[in-house]
Amino acid sequence: MRALKGVSFDLLAGEVHALLGENGAGKSTLIKVITGAHQPDGGSIEINGEQVAHLTPASAHKLGIACIYQQPALFPDLTVAENIGLRLEPSSPLKKVNWPARRTRATELLQRIGAEISPEAEVRSLSMPEQQLVEIACALGAGARIVIMDEPTASLTQKEQHLLFAVVKDLRANGVGVIYISHRLDEIFQLADRVTVLRDGESVGTHAIGARVCDPQQSKTTKNAMESPKAEFDSTSCGSESRAPEMNESSLIKLMVGREVSAIYPPSESEAGNVVLSLKHLGCSAGGVRDVSLEVRAGEVVGMAGLVGAGRTELARVLFGITPADSGEILLNGERVTINSAQEAVAHGIAYVPEDRRRHGVILEMPIAHNMTMAIHRRIFPGAWLRFGAEKQLALDFIHNLGVKAYGTEAPGGSLSGGNQQKVSLARWLATKPKLLILDEPTQGVDVGAKSEIHKIIRHLAKEGLAVLMISSDLPEVLGMSDRIAVMRGGTITAMLPGKSDAHEVMAAALGQKEGAE
Amino acid sequence: MNTDKHRFKTAILRHETILLCVVILEWIYFNSVGLRFGSLDNTFDIMRHSVEIGLLALAMTPIILTAGIDLSVGSLLGLCAILFGKFWRDAHMPIPLAAACTIGIGALAGGLNAVLITWLRLPPLIVTLGTFSLFRGLAEAITRGVDTFTNFPASFLFLGQERWLGIPAQVPIFVAAAIGIWLLVHRTTFGRSFRAIGFAPEGTRYAGIPVERRLAMAYVLAGIVAAVAAIIYTSRLGQAKADAGTGYELFAITAVVLGGTSIFGGVGTVHGTLLGVAAIAVLNNGLVHARQPREVAGMLTGLLLILALTSSTIPKMLASLRERRQTPVTKPITT
Repeated sequence: MRALKGVSFDLLAGEVHALLGENGAGKSTLIKVITGAHQPDGGSIEINGEQVAHLTPASAHKLGIACIYQQPALFPDLTVAENIGLRLEPSSPLKKVNWPARRTRATELLQRIGAEISPEAEVRSLSMPEQQLVEIACALGAGARIVIMDEPTASLTQKEQHLLFAVVKDLRANGVGVIYISHRLDEIFQLADRVTVLRDGESVGTHAIGARVCDPQQSKTTKNAMESPKAEFDSTSCGSESRAPEMNESSLIKLMVGREVSAIYPPSESEAGNVVLSLKHLGCSAGGVRDVSLEVRAGEVVGMAGLVGAGRTELARVLFGITPADSGEILLNGERVTINSAQEAVAHGIAYVPEDRRRHGVILEMPIAHNMTMAIHRRIFPGAWLRFGAEKQLALDFIHNLGVKAYGTEAPGGSLSGGNQQKVSLARWLATKPKLLILDEPTQGVDVGAKSEIHKIIRHLAKEGLAVLMISSDLPEVLGMSDRIAVMRGGTITAMLPGKSDAHEVMAAALGQKEGAE
Repeated sequence: MNTDKHRFKTAILRHETILLCVVILEWIYFNSVGLRFGSLDNTFDIMRHSVEIGLLALAMTPIILTAGIDLSVGSLLGLCAILFGKFWRDAHMPIPLAAACTIGIGALAGGLNAVLITWLRLPPLIVTLGTFSLFRGLAEAITRGVDTFTNFPASFLFLGQERWLGIPAQVPIFVAAAIGIWLLVHRTTFGRSFRAIGFAPEGTRYAGIPVERRLAMAYVLAGIVAAVAAIIYTSRLGQAKADAGTGYELFAITAVVLGGTSIFGGVGTVHGTLLGVAAIAVLNNGLVHARQPREVAGMLTGLLLILALTSSTIPKMLASLRERRQTPVTKPITT
């Protein structure tokens, strides 16, 4: 799998450059390359006009590149001053710590970014945004010229966001280049000067947003291209920017989703039948799911789109009884049910093929035959006595029907490839003859061939009258497979769209634009 | 056929096969050294002496398969022994009723472990370390450390000291327990669930298997078996004291691990456990016949454990070394 293929990106001094893209578009990988955590296998990186041959985390740090992650990486049991000291003071085991100097520096740095944090406070006692501020102070203290922020506002309140924005603007005023990653378009329009959109590991365009005039002097360029012999962009001047058209939210979303839904997805042939699952204002405060209302009919594939963390897997866990619901109603075939454990869910005819295949989907050490019968112990083994012949026959049938590639029914699950493991996981749940099948990222980490096979299986199941709820972060998959699309955001369903929707609409709903209509 | 050859090879290298050879070698050696070692009387003696630890080891096997452990079985044996004495002597219960009550107590005590482990989600090691002290402490408190129960009727002592149909009377109970637990582990969905829990507790929950209920079953079963062992122990010695069964939990765990059950859960067999019990029992008895001091037994048991464990991993290590030499090291592909 190639995460990045030919990305060109440049950052000017004193600008906020937003990086935008779907889940898996390559943002994180790009950051890892810039911070020296991953090595590019093609292209070049220039900093302050000089080409950097081999970037390591240490040399990136020396060159003034700092990254502030969503989860700050501070020592929780040390004070703020100690944490800053550890980052900035040269370490030597014999040197005596100059405590007053350490404290003074911490105070200065915190004041510079306007943070009201005591240097004596233990990091444990700080809130998440306060910890981010400490990280920013560290970056400043290290003389960072390039600050990368990876979804810094994901866990912040409105008020904390404003504080953070002020700091970002301050950094910009001081000539620091900020790479700002966020899923929130409104933030990007508020903060960023330019935006680069990544899609499938490629940069599909860099566009100006703000009305700010950029200062062409003292510019830094970070260029990066994996597997592309030459970097296309050379924007040490503002030339490219003035040429780029002004963007609005809608055109940005279009850029992010861009591609056409390919015709490789098997067509829907099934007629929607009776309502199998009906949710009414379902909520689970522990699971972060609130007020979800949804209907899934027999013979129908309902796709669930949304960004990572939108609450889709959490909803599946509620339906499967792992984290039981605490409000609302679940109706199965019109009857109200409560689901407090996975056993109860199975008894009600709900099957869940989980996202984390290796931890939850398949027991890697166990033979695939054992894996396939795990959810039907009661039915296939009456009186709890194992019947090896029946088990083997069932396993052979599934191996044949789903096209599982394994050396035999006794092959341990871990010896199979990802796609075949997924088929084993699917077989386990099909064996229960469920009414409702919940698939969570059914083709994640699965090769192309197995992926289209799994798609065919899903279609076939729907045609046979199964109600399918398919969670997927793969937008083309959602568009290609779904009869209807539910979009989740912030733990609830924000839009129900028809299956033939446009990628742009789904993405807009997932990002919180008000375009999706009920 | 290649696969047949492969199957034969893996069967030979199987832990149980190696262990069986160890037991046979022990037998041959001590038979040549000791005078009376190979006699029928001595064989029965070995059996008599290994029944209680053997029972505890049998009950420990499902628990270790779930990647758990029960350190409290030895203490529970002590508690059950003196409660049995108390029921009979002080509560004037007939022996069968006293035995039934004792088994009930064992089930309750196992239930306590189960509740703490499954409801409070505490690690089994910590829970049973606690009940290990608790049960022994209770036994000592009830007897004030001095009270012993003796003068049991001869009809009861028959169980531990006499022969029935030519074999020691407690052996049929042990055989029944061994068959029962073997069937449970190897032929029922419960055994399958124990293994699955040992490999991946969360994965097992996601498969709709009631993980808590299965775990509770294993610990309650251990409590019941410990109570049965306590009754046999009392009958064999003709007395019940608060220190009965001290250290038995470690012998039982040693036998299970020696028998090839992985302490990390999932892997193991009941027949392996039985061979583990046999290897230790033959060694201990044989050393007495070879006129070696008792301390040697402990040392040799430890040595045997380490040897038996490495004997099954060494071929694997050699195989993986050979493989590594054959396949060139390739850079991992990041996905």
